[in-house]
Amino acid sequence: MDSQTIEQHVDTTAALIGLAIAPEYRDGVLRFFGIAAGMAALVMAQALETSDEPAALFVPVSAPASR
Amino acid sequence: MNSAEQGLLGPAHGIAAAVRSREVSALAVTQAALQRVQATDSQVNAFTQVTSQRAVAQATALDQRIAAGDSATLALPLLGVPFAVKNLFDIQGLTTLAGSKIERGRPAATHDAVLVQRLQAAGAVLVGALNMDEYAYGFTTENTHYGPSRNPHDPTRIAGGSSGGSAVAVAAGQVPLTLGSDTNGSIRVPASLCGVFGLKPTFGRLPRTGSYPFVANLDHVGPFARSVRDLALSYDAMQGFDAGCAASVPRPIEPTLHTLGDISGLRIGVLGGWFFDMALPEARAAVDTVARALGAHISVVWPGVAAARAAAFLITNAESSALHLPDLKTRAADFEPLSRDRFLAGALLPAVWVAQAQRVRRQFARQVAASFADVDVLIAPATPCAAPTIGTEWMEINGQRLPSRASMGLLTQPVSCIGLPVCSVPVWGAHPTLPLGVQLIAAPWREDRVLAVAAALENAGVVRAPVAALQ
Repeated sequence: MDSQTIEQHVDTTAALIGLAIAPEYRDGVLRFFGIAAGMAALVMAQALETSDEPAALFVPVSAPASR
Repeated sequence: MNSAEQGLLGPAHGIAAAVRSREVSALAVTQAALQRVQATDSQVNAFTQVTSQRAVAQATALDQRIAAGDSATLALPLLGVPFAVKNLFDIQGLTTLAGSKIERGRPAATHDAVLVQRLQAAGAVLVGALNMDEYAYGFTTENTHYGPSRNPHDPTRIAGGSSGGSAVAVAAGQVPLTLGSDTNGSIRVPASLCGVFGLKPTFGRLPRTGSYPFVANLDHVGPFARSVRDLALSYDAMQGFDAGCAASVPRPIEPTLHTLGDISGLRIGVLGGWFFDMALPEARAAVDTVARALGAHISVVWPGVAAARAAAFLITNAESSALHLPDLKTRAADFEPLSRDRFLAGALLPAVWVAQAQRVRRQFARQVAASFADVDVLIAPATPCAAPTIGTEWMEINGQRLPSRASMGLLTQPVSCIGLPVCSVPVWGAHPTLPLGVQLIAAPWREDRVLAVAAALENAGVVRAPVAALQ
């Protein structure tokens, strides 16, 4: 992911979720987003089977005992 | 030095035995711990809050029950043992800081965390709360709000994190037992750098109820100590399902104390690949020391470790940022400068990255589970190197220039990503002056095996956790 794409994504998504990024933090945010993008490249390159379900699976919450 | 002060520098089980036999009172040991904290903490900055009144009251009550000959009290496994907890555990009457400035304004906790309750029920005496990286997002405990925790073996160096204060307090002899949390390495990294034992149990084994979350999908809690027996005693006392923790797994209590040191029949291997490549020579030497002592000749290489580590990174970044989004929107300036920009970036990650990361994590867990068909315990370095000096920004590993702080977790993150139980054991001699931790890793729910191997190494004198020689 090139730096221009990262900048566009960061600006658009920050606006979308209502997160104002102060100018003094912007370079740092872009840098850390770039690190995350590098991690994502590794993750997205991993070949998965349909049986590789997400590790985080919902567990139903039992009802409390009747009062 | 009186007997209480002497006992404080020994193991927790020795303190409990001395209190039980009335050689020393619980109050004397508690006062010795409080005095040592007062005398030494300016050098290491482990404590953020000291609970003197509570500790004295609890120790006095224990002594009264002992004097009355109460047999249930005398049987308590941690009778009169002073302990302290990372300041993300709730302590009734104190605000839970989680290393932050932001939380200072929140109300005080109305109950103790469940693990604090369980240790206290086992006879241990809480003396305070410990420094950490803000919201547990760090591997160094260079906390800007509360100051850095300093490595007791060389105060110019980092303690490791995020449970830095927990490792420091044990290494400095302030208390023999502490609690920390480990999401990506936050027990094992400081244990390694400060030269103490640390146990990260299987994900879901110990309940987190009453602790401030970092990444609910990855958070573990566990103990630090200077002896394996103390780890086992405290771990056994803390086991058991608690409905207040969404991750708590309803398994029976599986005690570990009676199998300590028994490694007959265990197949022990050494993790290669990523765990060799991303370690500096000193960390490889520490692994060699342990492998030689155990006669471990099996070499195991897990597939996809880099992707698993990346998955843990993304899940951590996204989930923790979502947790703190309201404060990131309204008071970003109050966050720790070392982690603020990373939190802000984490709020912006595409959902598909995180969803795929959870699937990669599952795939990796299945592949690693298969590897345990041929081996019972695996050995790997806990950190790529011994403790860097405070403020170190960059380091070189495997020909790559990498950010030093994040790199402290390179070797722990892939293991906690899939929730395996790990005991970090301290090795001396691999670095000229500092300790280095080695991870002993087993299949899920086999804490007994990692503790058994750790105890065998300790009994053989291969690993040890001496109290640091402070001024």
